[in-house]
Amino acid sequence: MSKPRRLSSGGSRIDRSSRVSFTFDGKLMSGYRGDTLAAAVMANGQRLFGRSYKYHRPRGVIGLGSEEMNALVGVGTGARHEPNARATQVELFEGLAAVSQNRFPSLSFDVGAINNTLSRLFPGGFYYKTFMWPKVFWKHIYEPVIRKAAGLGVAPEGRDPDSYEQIHVHADVVVVGGGVAGLAAAEAAAVMGARVIIADENAVLGGISDLEDGTIDGAPQAEWARAAAQKLYDAENVHVLTRATVVGHWHHNYVMIAERVGDHDPAIPKSGAPRHRLWKVRAKQVILATGALERPIAFANNDRPGIMLATAVRAMVQRYGVAPGEQGVVFTNNDDAYLTALALKEAGIAVQVVDSRARADGALPERARAAGIAISTGSVISAVKGKLGVEAVKIASYRKGQGRVVSERSAPCDFIAVSGGFNPAAHLWCHNGGKLTFDEGLQSYRPGSHADAIVAVGAAKGTMALADIMAEARAAGEAAAKVALPKAKAAKLAKLAISEDARKPLEAIWFAPATGKYNEGNKHFVDFQHDVTVADLELAQREGYESIEHTKRYTTFGMATDQGKVGNLNGLGAIAEATGKTIPEVGFTTFRPPYTPTSFGAITGSLTKKLFLPVRQTPVFDWHMMKGAVFEPVGQWRRPYTYPRDGEDKHVSIAREILNVRNNVGVLDASTLGKIEVKGPDAGAFLDRIYTNMMSTLKPGRCRYGLTLNELGFIMDDGVVVRFDDERFLVHTTSGGADRIAAWLEEWLQTEWTDYRVFVTPVTEQWAQFAVAGPRARDVIAALKPSFDVSHEALPHMSFVEGTLGALPVRVYRISFSGELSYEIATPANHGRALWDALLQAGAPHGILPYGTEALHVLRAEKGYIVVGDETDGTTTPDDVGLSGLVSKKKADFIGKRSLEQAHLKAPNRKQLVGLYTENPEEVLPDGAHAVAEVKDKPPMKTIGHVTSSYLSPTLGRSIAMALIENGRARMGDVLSFPLDGKVVRATVVDPVFYDKEGARLNV
Amino acid sequence: MSDILSTPHFETALARRAAPAGLGFAVREMTDRGMIDLRGLASDRKFMTAVKGVLGTDLPKAPRSAVAWGDIKVLWLSPDQWLVLCPRARAVALAAELTAALAGIHSQVTNVSDMRTVLRLEGANLRTTLAKGTSTDLHAAEVKPGFVKRLKFAEVGALINIVEDQIFELYVFRSQADYVWDFLIAIGGSAAELHLFGKQSPA
Amino acid sequence: MLTLVCPVCGAHGDETDFHAGGQAHIRRPASHDPEHISDQEQADYLFTRINPKGLHFERWRCDRGCGKWFHAARDTVTLEFKAYYGITELPPPDIMAQARGAWADYFKARQKAAAKAGAKS
Repeated sequence: MSKPRRLSSGGSRIDRSSRVSFTFDGKLMSGYRGDTLAAAVMANGQRLFGRSYKYHRPRGVIGLGSEEMNALVGVGTGARHEPNARATQVELFEGLAAVSQNRFPSLSFDVGAINNTLSRLFPGGFYYKTFMWPKVFWKHIYEPVIRKAAGLGVAPEGRDPDSYEQIHVHADVVVVGGGVAGLAAAEAAAVMGARVIIADENAVLGGISDLEDGTIDGAPQAEWARAAAQKLYDAENVHVLTRATVVGHWHHNYVMIAERVGDHDPAIPKSGAPRHRLWKVRAKQVILATGALERPIAFANNDRPGIMLATAVRAMVQRYGVAPGEQGVVFTNNDDAYLTALALKEAGIAVQVVDSRARADGALPERARAAGIAISTGSVISAVKGKLGVEAVKIASYRKGQGRVVSERSAPCDFIAVSGGFNPAAHLWCHNGGKLTFDEGLQSYRPGSHADAIVAVGAAKGTMALADIMAEARAAGEAAAKVALPKAKAAKLAKLAISEDARKPLEAIWFAPATGKYNEGNKHFVDFQHDVTVADLELAQREGYESIEHTKRYTTFGMATDQGKVGNLNGLGAIAEATGKTIPEVGFTTFRPPYTPTSFGAITGSLTKKLFLPVRQTPVFDWHMMKGAVFEPVGQWRRPYTYPRDGEDKHVSIAREILNVRNNVGVLDASTLGKIEVKGPDAGAFLDRIYTNMMSTLKPGRCRYGLTLNELGFIMDDGVVVRFDDERFLVHTTSGGADRIAAWLEEWLQTEWTDYRVFVTPVTEQWAQFAVAGPRARDVIAALKPSFDVSHEALPHMSFVEGTLGALPVRVYRISFSGELSYEIATPANHGRALWDALLQAGAPHGILPYGTEALHVLRAEKGYIVVGDETDGTTTPDDVGLSGLVSKKKADFIGKRSLEQAHLKAPNRKQLVGLYTENPEEVLPDGAHAVAEVKDKPPMKTIGHVTSSYLSPTLGRSIAMALIENGRARMGDVLSFPLDGKVVRATVVDPVFYDKEGARLNV
Repeated sequence: MSDILSTPHFETALARRAAPAGLGFAVREMTDRGMIDLRGLASDRKFMTAVKGVLGTDLPKAPRSAVAWGDIKVLWLSPDQWLVLCPRARAVALAAELTAALAGIHSQVTNVSDMRTVLRLEGANLRTTLAKGTSTDLHAAEVKPGFVKRLKFAEVGALINIVEDQIFELYVFRSQADYVWDFLIAIGGSAAELHLFGKQSPA
Repeated sequence: MLTLVCPVCGAHGDETDFHAGGQAHIRRPASHDPEHISDQEQADYLFTRINPKGLHFERWRCDRGCGKWFHAARDTVTLEFKAYYGITELPPPDIMAQARGAWADYFKARQKAAAKAGAKS
């Protein structure tokens, strides 16, 4: 068996004066600038690139570009390693390090290949059949073994050092694909003034024009393509994207393009430019000029290294000057592959053609005959000799529909170029619901109807003759520009003289017969990536997987990254033949985005690390940071949880903060609380609709705690409402509810009570707001030169005053969430730090200390105050949490009122809020612990409720908990059991107000 | 103590952030901007007249537009909402004047000078660079000086005003200023600068 | 991702610049006669929705524009927006005429009620 090699001349893409060193599996190799990794490795005499997914069969390059499904390699090392790159797309650069995948210990000797020998044990659907039982085997045996044996590449090690970004672009026309059709369409749209983006996944525009034989104006079509591409690069209204794959098409012409900015040159990402850029393009018109993908033919052992698609062989010779071997066989059912035979002959490589058709008398076969190439018509390849490469083939005579080989002859060869015809690359057409129709001439599906403003042109539409392609593409470009720019005038493009297409029709062949049975070394692959054979598909049919979508999932045919690019039609054809159906009756499987694998970097863009999620900072965030606060997320805010002193345990600091509020005074950053100003003649009436209690009767200068429900009657939010004057209210919401409640108020005003004269303005961020709480709070305020009387008489509990502290403008609300004498003081946010510093300074003689959200929560729990989201869960009514007193009986309507009247929301067995004292006062029940009706040895046990909040209360010197318990208020004094891991905790039901039941500490 | 209360420290969201280097555009925080949120009905002649009496200019009625008069500028936010801009030192008095002039007229005047952070960006390629953060089409014909629109920028809400062809102002909520500042640094590096359309050289 | 145009301010943009508010034209019984709402009527208000294949009527809010709510008629198969109209309005007559099934019944009932109210006055 000979090796592939570099030819002494030729190679339109390579620069023979520029040598490039690289490694493959650690072996130092040399190639040329312009090579793909696939070409360069083959030029170094190696055909073997990897092992297949299931059977670990040796595999080489099969394809031309992104459709490659065999030669998947790992590129780069360490954190810059990228698995599963297609060797046919990887551009060679100095120092490139690539490795083969899915082999152990080495590529040529792979232990996993025993799966091939044992392949009778691995029929279609083997995952479902084999790993059913016993259950424990899954976790400990099947799963780890499959994980090691299956799969493709390995993940990179460590954090990706490169950057990525995304950009949103709006275009009149997006042209997908830069072959002759795409270039012609883009030119036609651009000359009319449309803003055009043309994207191609390859480094060079022109598609496969350099591999085709048609001429334009007497010159090879590639020359026209080169000139057309240059015009587009020069145009002011065109953006050309290369190395940019259109990976998906979504609703209303949303197109995503993954641009590989720096994969071909490591200096680019190192310079600070992104490695990949994801373009999110909104196009008025999309033109698909994605061309067609060549399909192989299913013949025995058609996956051996050295068996490639015919156009891929042509590209190896003509683009890279690489001979795939010394003696080739072209196996075809169409005329196009004769171009490959001619190219091989011209390069001095021995070749013969095996054509499954009874006759081959088109212009191209005639040219081949004239060149002295032997052609066997009515013949197929029935067997391939060789494992790590091709050593010989057997050629058998064939009539369409023949099932078994009668006679065959051996022919020496070391590579095979195969062509079973071309499938329009209609993947993007289908991403967003485009329909396909079956084309008898192509024996393939091509684009049908589509609801979006998208058209397909050229080979992507199934149009194969060059003159037709050009006419169709230009017309589509012009039409797209006209729709995008209705006033644009048609521009005349020079008429082109295009050669006639001489190719005669192909004849479908879905299965080349062989001697022997399928599973005795004769695998006819349709999906190379997943090792799916014709036999697997037939087995799936026999087992009743009649729907093609079921067959797909059962056999893994057309799944994962391949998405049916190469093998799809052959599979459908094989099923059609096996079941006696037509291919349209079989149907087709859904192509899903992305068209080719897209990096997580591109999908994430710039939004990594601290940009992954916005963190909202209060005006005194820097102070909290400086003091070493421990933070907790509250919505997108970060709030100080506690402020441990040097070396202090969190539990200690929290207890210290709580006791300081109870005994002296504490200060809390409450800036995150939602604040909404509501104003208008109907503001009171409006708030009466929103809150369960009456707000219109609130007196100016006073505050009232209120509950809002949703229309289902469940608690949604809570907070203090302040009335400034007749028409002006300030609504406080929870920190997490601020945006939601502001939107909620707007929605009701705009959509339901449109005659209310009310305006709503959210002002959360205008104010820094701090709670000063504790028996000495008044002393602190009094020390700050207030412009107002701070006495209990002048500023009692639940009252409000606006004024100044020194020169600071403030709004002071005497409200309390701790049960202590407490003022919440608001000042414009840019003065927040000044007020905070002033409070700490003025409070120092009184022992002021900052306290965090955990202390806040314990303080409120000691008082039995609820937290929306802790004591409520979206199915909790006011009565459930003991707040039925806040539900007005006078109002005819408020949001949620009618739902509260439903029988099940008044049922006696609803869970009600209670307090709990554990038998052991040091035992803290975990949040969410369930009380059960009866303790049993093991679950299930009937639950009667659960703990909603649970703390160690330093004030009471014992644990406290709040819980929602069925009919809880009738169970006072009962002892409940909470089975936990390995123990049962018992707790007595008590009133949920644990401390200062009379509220004496508030009214001082 | 007396210092803290007599001349209180004034600190905007980005006061502690140094101006970033190596960006393809200039960016700075505008700390002297007073902002008043004004609500009222454009169809209410009394409202419009009273406001004009105070501001000296009619409120803009065209969506996404702005008007300027002396040291006052008004950004259209909605058919019944405007953002009145003025020097920060004037905001309290101006809000009081508006409130007084609008007594008895259905309206709402709210001084929100501290609610948002204003970032002024200057550069020749801002439309393209900012497209890395927003799906709003900044190359559209209407996006010319005076243009105002709320948009989604990175993962937060923002308001953009085109001041001059190469000067944009981005209004973001104060709590998110730090995030937006970091995002601008992430997308604005000169090495990542991208030029859309126009003549290109083949890769 | 869909694109929309706000009929109030003319802003156009991605779906993410708007907020979807579910089915349009749902009548809140408690705003009209809070004393007499049957359980069935309340359940319909809260839970019963039209889920057509084809023309549908929805509520949207212009989140990144003027902040106003509006109505939209959208084909749930092609995802095409057929019309945008005010939040207190019924669809344009030509669009309303294209409604099928439950929506056609709904609009017929609305028009009948309007005619009845007109005859009374």
